[in-house]
Amino acid sequence: MSRPRVKSKARGAGVTTVVVLRLYIVGGAPNSVQALVNLEKICQEYLKDGYKLEVVDVLEHPRRAMDEGVLVTPSLAKLSPGPTANVVGNLSDKAKVLHALGLKGKGT
Amino acid sequence: MLLRLAKGGPERQAIEAGEIDAIIDYASSNVILLPAARAVLERKRAQAGQQESNRFARATLDALASQVYVLDSAGTVIMANKAWRASAPAAEGIAAVVPEGANFLAVCDNAAGSERAHGIAIAAGIRRVTGEESSLFRHEYDCDSPAGRCRFVVTVTGFREDGAARAVVARENITGRKAVEQPLKLGYSVAYPGRTASTKPAANAVNSLLASLPAEEYQRLLAALEPVTLTYGEVLYERGVPIKHAYFPVNCLVSLLTTVGGHEALEVGLVGHEGMVSVALALGIDVSPARALVQATGIAMRMEAARFREEFLQSISLQQALHRYAYALMAQIAQNAACNRFHTVGERLARWLLMTRDRVRSNEFRLTHAFLADMLGVRRVGVTIAANALQKRKLIKYGRGEITILDRKRLSTASCECYRIIKRIYDGA
Repeated sequence: MSRPRVKSKARGAGVTTVVVLRLYIVGGAPNSVQALVNLEKICQEYLKDGYKLEVVDVLEHPRRAMDEGVLVTPSLAKLSPGPTANVVGNLSDKAKVLHALGLKGKGT
Repeated sequence: MLLRLAKGGPERQAIEAGEIDAIIDYASSNVILLPAARAVLERKRAQAGQQESNRFARATLDALASQVYVLDSAGTVIMANKAWRASAPAAEGIAAVVPEGANFLAVCDNAAGSERAHGIAIAAGIRRVTGEESSLFRHEYDCDSPAGRCRFVVTVTGFREDGAARAVVARENITGRKAVEQPLKLGYSVAYPGRTASTKPAANAVNSLLASLPAEEYQRLLAALEPVTLTYGEVLYERGVPIKHAYFPVNCLVSLLTTVGGHEALEVGLVGHEGMVSVALALGIDVSPARALVQATGIAMRMEAARFREEFLQSISLQQALHRYAYALMAQIAQNAACNRFHTVGERLARWLLMTRDRVRSNEFRLTHAFLADMLGVRRVGVTIAANALQKRKLIKYGRGEITILDRKRLSTASCECYRIIKRIYDGA
């Protein structure tokens, strides 16, 4: 489902899918730091509690980054719900990120 | 690897926009940092390392009871520990609190009145250490304070930080300790907190070589000797430097070290209660052939060189005892030479531990692997492996810089034959 929420009259009821994200970074590097900050802002604004974010440092886990096909960092992968999507760079282009996350941003 | 990224694709665009920190090169299985990111990370690592070591240094210094300054080569205070910062703000002269950024050498140079001589001595000692003419300077002095007459000891050691010379100045109030050391002249043990006084002369409180002299001679010499505390790491003599005092260790331990250019000093002999440091004086020579370094803190009986020569010339029994000791020491050094060359680190370590135990008369002592490595002339990892092996056989226990001998008999079988050979010479001599 690309829509994250099913509207329901009863408050608190309703099924929400969890958006699973993975951000590949180089810990401490400038673009990576910025990407993480930007992503968390977006998630908190648009996904609230409905997301799971894993941060993978490619210097600490290079094998894993290669197994998962990472080309450059920082790099964001949306794993679920399908279809998967990718955004590379420091994620300062909010519209691009929201599009990849399958959310329609305000005004887009 | 850039060729693998599609021209015009999102990755290429992001790289060109400067939004990328690293690229994964599948051909070489490497993560390649782009220059901007690499520069930032290296700067951060350097800063973190510097902060960590500063934190460590401050925490260590603040834990000490002594007042400690770290000075740069000009004598300016870089770091003052808690003990100094917390000391009496009204103190003046060389006891005054010199804040970080102010110059401690200037305070010593400008000391006035009764402190003038001490200020000059301390300033000279600091300059010698930062000029690397000396590795340790020690100065004991009395001063009058509102609390009465106090005795202080100032020690100065040096180190290098990124090529810059640094001096560590530590000052300790030893008024209490001095008062307690005096009774030792009579060979009576003294009440420290936790130990009860006894009126019998304690076997641990004498230098055996002196105690073996006829009673009259022994008492006469004791009257001319002064008990002093020698501290671990203190250098008593350097090779070739005129000897100022003769030392007869009671329960401290002194190593004789010799250096060969470019290597760390190697231990060639050990002196404890069975002997005299710088027996050269007894041979009519007034310089030391080796560096004498205090290995274990304890008490020694000390006499000025000139006075010692007078006493020596007057006492046939002292001459005989010292000639015998000089022979035993030569045998020890000769045996050491062969041992250093042929025996394994494990055997030598066992021997060194036993010889130390015999001289400090205790099964427990503190020393670091680095120190042992220097004494044995091997790399530190060799000491660690050898010590581990001895610990595995339950011959010793070590941890946190403390070594405990658990089984002396079996440790001596683990040692090379040099231990027994040397011991036999000393016991017979």
